[in-house]
Amino acid sequence: MTSMEMANFPILSAILMTTILGLVTILFIPPERTRLIKQVSLASASIGLVLCIWLYLSYDHQKGGLQFVERILWVKSLGIYWFNGVDGINLPMLLLTSIVLFTGIWTMWELENRVKEFFALIFLLVAGVYGMFMSMDLFWMFVWYDVSLFPMYPLIAIWGGTRKEYGAMKLTLYLLAGSALILPAILYLWVQGGAHTFDLFELQRIGFSAFDQKLTFIMLYLGFGILAAVWPFHTWSPVGHVAAPTAVSMIHAGVLMKLGAYGILRIAMTLCPVGLGYWSDLMALLACIGIVYGALVGLAQTDLKYVIGYSSVSHMGVVGLGLATMSVNGINGAVFQMFAHGVMTALFFSSVGYIYDRTHTKIIPELGGLSKTMPIASSFFIVAALAGIGVPLMASFWAELLVFIAAVKAFPIGGVAALVGLIISALFMLRVVQKTFYGDKNPRWEHIPDVPGFLAVPRIVLVSVILFFGMFPKIMLDVIQSTVIPFVNRF
Amino acid sequence: MTDFMLFLPELFFIFGALLFFIFSLRKTADPAGYHRWAIFLAGIGLLVTVVSSRQEGMLFFNCYRVDLFSQIFKILLALGTVWVIFSSSELKGIDPRQHCEYYFLLFVCTLAMMMLVSSVELLTIYVSIELSSYSLYLLVPMRRHADHYIETGIKYFMIGVTSSALMLFGISLLFGMAHTTYVPQIIKTLPSLITQPAAIIGLVLALSGFFFKLALFPFHIWAPDVYQGSANQVTAYIATASKMAAAAMIIRFTGLSAGASPGMIKLLIVLSIFSMTFGNLVALIQKDVKRLLAYSSIAHAGYIMVGILSMSERGYASAIYYAAAYLIMNYSVFMVIMKLADDGHNLQIKELAGLHKRSPLLAMTLMIGLFGLAGIPPTAGFTGKFLVFAAALQKGYLFLVIIGMINATISLYYYLIIIKAAYLLKPVNEYPALQVDSWTRYLSIALVIMMIYLGIFPDQFLSLTEAAARTLF
Repeated sequence: MTSMEMANFPILSAILMTTILGLVTILFIPPERTRLIKQVSLASASIGLVLCIWLYLSYDHQKGGLQFVERILWVKSLGIYWFNGVDGINLPMLLLTSIVLFTGIWTMWELENRVKEFFALIFLLVAGVYGMFMSMDLFWMFVWYDVSLFPMYPLIAIWGGTRKEYGAMKLTLYLLAGSALILPAILYLWVQGGAHTFDLFELQRIGFSAFDQKLTFIMLYLGFGILAAVWPFHTWSPVGHVAAPTAVSMIHAGVLMKLGAYGILRIAMTLCPVGLGYWSDLMALLACIGIVYGALVGLAQTDLKYVIGYSSVSHMGVVGLGLATMSVNGINGAVFQMFAHGVMTALFFSSVGYIYDRTHTKIIPELGGLSKTMPIASSFFIVAALAGIGVPLMASFWAELLVFIAAVKAFPIGGVAALVGLIISALFMLRVVQKTFYGDKNPRWEHIPDVPGFLAVPRIVLVSVILFFGMFPKIMLDVIQSTVIPFVNRF
Repeated sequence: MTDFMLFLPELFFIFGALLFFIFSLRKTADPAGYHRWAIFLAGIGLLVTVVSSRQEGMLFFNCYRVDLFSQIFKILLALGTVWVIFSSSELKGIDPRQHCEYYFLLFVCTLAMMMLVSSVELLTIYVSIELSSYSLYLLVPMRRHADHYIETGIKYFMIGVTSSALMLFGISLLFGMAHTTYVPQIIKTLPSLITQPAAIIGLVLALSGFFFKLALFPFHIWAPDVYQGSANQVTAYIATASKMAAAAMIIRFTGLSAGASPGMIKLLIVLSIFSMTFGNLVALIQKDVKRLLAYSSIAHAGYIMVGILSMSERGYASAIYYAAAYLIMNYSVFMVIMKLADDGHNLQIKELAGLHKRSPLLAMTLMIGLFGLAGIPPTAGFTGKFLVFAAALQKGYLFLVIIGMINATISLYYYLIIIKAAYLLKPVNEYPALQVDSWTRYLSIALVIMMIYLGIFPDQFLSLTEAAARTLF
């Protein structure tokens, strides 16, 4: 039985309102006042960030359970509740979202094209993300999930780069096809639970038959798995990331893809543990293939953003593998990896964004020797690459360590294959770094200015977060563990 | 005296129609004056209908039932009429000499549909539906450059008359089986007879008249041509108001079998699936906005059927909610189209290019309306689909719901294409700046707020629709 502690002040709704109020405020600002729009956006994001940090520090991980709960009956006849709460699993996600939003807005400071619409859409997108992470009612989780999906189309199609219209359409349609599987599954669970509540914890208490669990689990896994870039449903991801503008890639790869894994963990695994047990071998198999596949295909890429895109597929495979092990270490590692990878990917896209803005190319053979002309910009990417490999001192080291310990124990062959994938990803990361940043100086880029102090701030923030949790993983793991241990004990 | 109160909305619209009939006898036409009268009368009509919303009673020898169900639909009909008349301020698509007849026929059609939703006797239903159909047969070809569009009018007429004939045949079979034309009594006797072929055939044929109005497969053939060939305002009226009446009557009629016939439910499921799939797939290739919306309406007929065939209180409530949401969303889209094509021509998708610059407000109204039709939260369209699918799943139709969701995803493609045109594409030649008058501005904002409010806070309206669904039995 999960303990629930009601909130004195609806802080979760407040965090959500920072994005919605930010959106509404921006709608009233005339489009010519771009500077004001950017300032308002950054202010809203900062308030959200401060609230999330405060929330993180106030969470009592000794007590565990669901805290800062808000629960109001929303639609009586169906049993829909406005039900928000934090525990060890979604708290790191909320923190991640606020960090990525804050740094993302700062990274796009130089945008001049249709600024008002861009920031309005970004806030709509992140409102959906916040909403899904904090919600504990299936209806609202689905609503926020879809809300976070549809702004992707205009964001990519209007401000994007390579093949933007194709990328935007493919991404939007593919992800919404995933929700075509999720909604029937949610409604099915609602019906089987007596058709009177969408409350996640009540449904967990009610429980479902083995057949229902197996059926719903696979639907939810595939539906959310599309967003989590589970192989082979990941093909929207590299195309979409490449096409998207920088902040959108940061938010998408950094946070949105975690929504998929979170959905699997929070809905599928919580409500259908028998289903999880039944399908876990398949989950592990797809995850391992994803890790190796992502690494191998990333090896062959020549476009920097494609490299990062495929490395994302690979890293999300690590998350999937961790979840499939059904063990404390595995799920701890998976949630930690969601956080660590989120920050790292945001840093990746942020640094590539700067390079692309200045050189107007992301093709590796055209770049070269950048560390000599742009040492600071290069350092950001190199730190991200090291984090991607899982070098100690980076947060992802701990995450991957935990996942692989659990994986090798639960799935010996798969675990070893995944380790091989890890080595291949190290290989391609280092190769990319070498080709882009080291080697001979390319005379074309000699005059490009390095990152000015103002624009360096968001990247430094991201680097600091990675290093901070790399050096003090306990601060993150205590929080995660407080929920994962009782969670796994239910299996 | 109370009888007058029960019949008040209808009386008012009879009065309005008579007034326009008298105006039409005048020698000189005064389009602007007629429009002012029309909007004034339609507005009062809406108020009158809202005031009568809690009336309950029987009229005309129990042929006519005024209950919450009928009154809600009358409000929706009156609302649709007000909005269409609001957009008829220029009405360049129709010859000015015919404006009076246009308003007359609109009022008569609204009157007929109001009578239809309250009718609970088979012949009354038939008379009402014929009255509304004949008004529409006259409205459809009433377009400038009539020679081009006569074909549309004839097509609509032929298919409509055929459906009416089929419906009459079905009604006669129902009468033969149940020995009464009073619907409440048929509800009592039919379920025990439903296993007999004559009863099922009678019911299905009787329903086909309404399927025609709703444009459900396979009675949808008229929709693309009629939508494209009618004047924009007439299309808007057909797409919004007449769908309400059709949905209401299908809900009343399917209640007749009381779910006792699995064969009939299977048939409805098949029709629903075909409707959704056919409508969505053919809409993918359309370039004319009205034609695309016609196919989309065929698909939406399928979605409403999913709620209706659940044949539970929740199913009917969800179908009523969906119909209301559909009215608002569809009208929002049509309003933008009518504003853009104010000389009355058929708008092509590529003509939407650059809309976000010409009028950000209209572009946003269009976008929210289309997202609502696609079923994206937090709009009323999403909540409508959610409710309809919930009702269906409660009866165990998992497969149907999955097909419905897949169709929703397919439909997103063509809605996105329109939004892409409005927000992304640059027009080849710059279009002139749009003058959006303040009334249109207020209406746009009101529509957007309505769509989002109903989507996020459905509780109040949902309780209302559930109360209405309860009065059905």
